[in-house]
Parts: sequence; structure tokens; C-alpha cells
Amino acid sequence: MTAFTEEQIERYSRHIILPEVGGAGQRALLEARVLLIGAGGLGSPVGLYLAAAGVGKLGVVDSDNVELSNLQRQVLHSTADLGRPKCLSAKETMEALNPDVEVVPHHVRLTAQNALDIISDYDVVADGSDNFATRFLVNDACVMAAKPLSHAGILRFEGQLTTILPGRGPCYRCLYPEPPPPGMVPSCQEAGILGATAGVVGLLQATDVLKLLLGIGEPLAGRLLLFNALDMTFKEVRIARDPGCPVCGDRPLITSLVDYEEACALRAGDAVPREVVP
Amino acid sequence: MTTEPTNITLRLFGPLMTALGRKEIGLAWAEGTVRDALLSFVEEHGASARPFLFDSQGNLWKSLIVLVNDEPVVDLHTAPVKAGDTISILLPLAGGSQASIAARRVGPTALGRFR
Repeated sequence: MTAFTEEQIERYSRHIILPEVGGAGQRALLEARVLLIGAGGLGSPVGLYLAAAGVGKLGVVDSDNVELSNLQRQVLHSTADLGRPKCLSAKETMEALNPDVEVVPHHVRLTAQNALDIISDYDVVADGSDNFATRFLVNDACVMAAKPLSHAGILRFEGQLTTILPGRGPCYRCLYPEPPPPGMVPSCQEAGILGATAGVVGLLQATDVLKLLLGIGEPLAGRLLLFNALDMTFKEVRIARDPGCPVCGDRPLITSLVDYEEACALRAGDAVPREVVP
Repeated sequence: MTTEPTNITLRLFGPLMTALGRKEIGLAWAEGTVRDALLSFVEEHGASARPFLFDSQGNLWKSLIVLVNDEPVVDLHTAPVKAGDTISILLPLAGGSQASIAARRVGPTALGRFR
């Protein structure tokens, strides 16, 4: 075990003086590996706070480039990054914030072919992806690989989040067995998002990831937390593992990853008429 | 003397709340299942609510969370709803700057009016 440097003791002093963290906890954070799916509205606050906290290795999966319309909420990127791959911009921002952190960019789209391989290098996954196909893929891959997963979704002034502990509580499919039909749930591009809403929900994810890494407190497992920024309210819904869940149930039907984008698109026959979603 | 309730309350979240422009809707109610209550809801609130809850064959979507008095309902076809109950309807949220599959087909978003 390497001792903290003087600089590390000072940098992490506010953590170290917390009895729940201490030197051992801070060392655990420095040795931890977390994978961010997406460096967008959710991934930005998660990444910034995990980097600041000294999480030693942060993977970032994102195949997109920085666009001007991202900068209202995606605070990992700046105006000078326009047109650059988000995972590289994220790497520079997080490593500049904390040189103790190694950021591994994965400039790919997560697929059924690469998901398990990428996830295998990390202890915890934080999902801030921008589509349902990826969300179901990440859930199924994390259940199969037994990796804890912080899940969050945001739209307009609302957010939802839960923490999935495979084998110990419900997974995303226990909540939502299938993706919604195309068009039912618009994206932030279509319906908008108050930038700070993404920040609130992303920081709740970061908080639960840090607690998991430290082994403290009660994770948001078996609970779905709903946030409404307009009302400034939180609502908690107790959720149970579904013994009939196709991926984490007693007799799982899904035992390998499939092409989720295709599976979601196949449901387009029942797409919700566009005019009902302003 | 207390009077027995004669209606139920539906609490709406996410895109369903946006589509109907309301967070809560009251429905006259005697008794029935959750599915009956949701059918009654779409009958009163018409075409704008139906596609969020039912597919074109009239089956309830599996991408919903329905709570009765804040408790998740496992079987929407059999779980009872009593007058005075509150039903909450949740849809999953993704977020993101990517257009949904449907939107990629239909083109421009609300921003068009500012251009």
C-alpha cells in the first residue's frame, strides 16, 4: 500500500476527516474503477465529482462529438471543445481537475458485442446514456457481469434514478420489462431539459456511486427516486425484484446480449402518434 | 359524519403529464381493477392519453409503472382499485440529445418555430 503524498492528504482532507471515509476510504476511492456510459448531461456531473473525489480510474463511453446545444448542461465540455469527441474532452477536463485520476476514453457506441468486454474492467457503472436501447443493454450487461449500476433518466424538469445491485435487488427490467414504444418518451432534444435538472440527478448518481465504493450508508437499491424540479419535490417508490424478470429472475430468458437498437425499432409499428408528444 | 369517497385520483408524470398538461386528474369511480381504471381514464381523456397506456390491440404497455396509493401494482389486470385510491402512472425516462427513433422519422422539433 502506497502512502498518501502531502498533496493528496491536503487535496482529500475533507474526505479523510469524515469518520465514514477516513484514509482507508480515500484509498479505496483511489483504487476504484467506475465506467460512465455517456459524457452528457448526467455523465458530466457524475464524472466531475468522481474525478474530484479521487476515483482512480474513470472510463467514459461516448461516440458523439461536442455540439453547441450540449453546453447548456454538459459541463465536462467547453466552447473550445466544439466538434471534438466528448470522451476526449471529458478526459482532459477530469484529468485537469485531478491528476490522480486516469480517464480511459472509449470512443465507441456501446453494443451487444463490446458491452461485456468494456464493463469487465470496472467495479461500478453509471448510466447516463441517451436512448432506451443502450439503457436496456447496460442493465442486462451489468446483471450478467454482476456489476452495480447507477441508473438515471431525465426529461424537462423531471428525473428518475435507482441503483441496481445484481443478485441483491431489482434491476431496470424489473421496473420496466420492455422499452417504451418509439415516440412515447421523447428525448431532451425533442422535449427539452432544464440543465440544472441534469446536474441534480447526476449528482445523486455520483453520491450513490461514492457510497457504494466506500461501503457506507444505504444505496438507492429497491427504490426508485423521482425528482420534480418545478415542484422541488422528491418522491420515493419502493420496488421489488420480479422473480419472473427475463434477465435477473429465477429462470432468466435473456442469457446473452442482443441487438437492442433493432429490438426497440421493431416496436415502431405501435409507435405513439407524434402529435401527442409536444 | 364522513362521506364515502366517490372518485379516484390519477397522478401523472413525465411525458403523460406534459401531453395532458395536468399533474392530477379525478375520475368518478365505484370499483374495478387497475386496468378498468386506466380504461376509464382514456375514455374520459381520449386519444391523447390512450397511446401512452395501451397498444393498438388494447393491451397495456409493459413499459409502465403503476402505483396504487404509492405501492407498485404487479398485475394491472387483477389488482383492485377502490374509491378514494390514488393511481400514479410512471413512464421511463432516458434523456439525451439524440432524437428518438420516431422523431428521426418525423423531422423537426418544437425549435422550428424560433428559426
